[in-house]
Amino acid sequence: MKKLSVVVAGTGQIRDIQIQSGTTAGDVLHQLNLPDYLLSKGPNDPFFAAAESIYDKVEGGEKIFASTKAEVGIRVCAA
Amino acid sequence: MRSIKDLGTRPAPVSLRDLVAKVVRGQGPAIAVERRQIPYWQERGWRRNGNVYEGSYQTPYAAFQGWIEQEHSGRINFYLYNPSQQIRGHSHWTCFQHRGNDWYLIHMAREPKDVGSGILAIERLITEGYES
Repeated sequence: MKKLSVVVAGTGQIRDIQIQSGTTAGDVLHQLNLPDYLLSKGPNDPFFAAAESIYDKVEGGEKIFASTKAEVGIRVCAA
Repeated sequence: MRSIKDLGTRPAPVSLRDLVAKVVRGQGPAIAVERRQIPYWQERGWRRNGNVYEGSYQTPYAAFQGWIEQEHSGRINFYLYNPSQQIRGHSHWTCFQHRGNDWYLIHMAREPKDVGSGILAIERLITEGYES
């Protein structure tokens, strides 16, 4: 078991969670009721995919971020 | 046997008394330090004035001055000043629209729902520009 603190980027609210081996980013977001969010370790790391197990990629006690989906994008530019 | 002269007593220095007191009473209870629950933009040192935010997009490689405007409709416009060659070389450089005086508006294909999420996305893009 690892304890993590998930910081919701928009509000700064901190949600403390405990995860088991095999817990995915999607599991975390679902249980925190953050369906439109993505998890990451911070701006210098990529987003975790929803089906990706995060257990081995985080340290116990670590702070990770939940942010709403945002992408600098081509589609809008091309439109 | 040599005789000694009793000089009386005097208080120990404060530092020594504090040390002894600490040893006697033990380590003491831990102080719970409260965590600051602040939005990401605030954590990164941005300042807010009404619907306008000013600060910098920060990465381990470089920081870039920026400002952000949150429209009443909820739409958020992100601006970045004087992008570097590394940003100009990023595949998403075409999404930077020059608005004069070296300020660029950054188009979002998927718009964030809050300012902090947008800052995170742009900082990630800047990092990619330097790492690619």
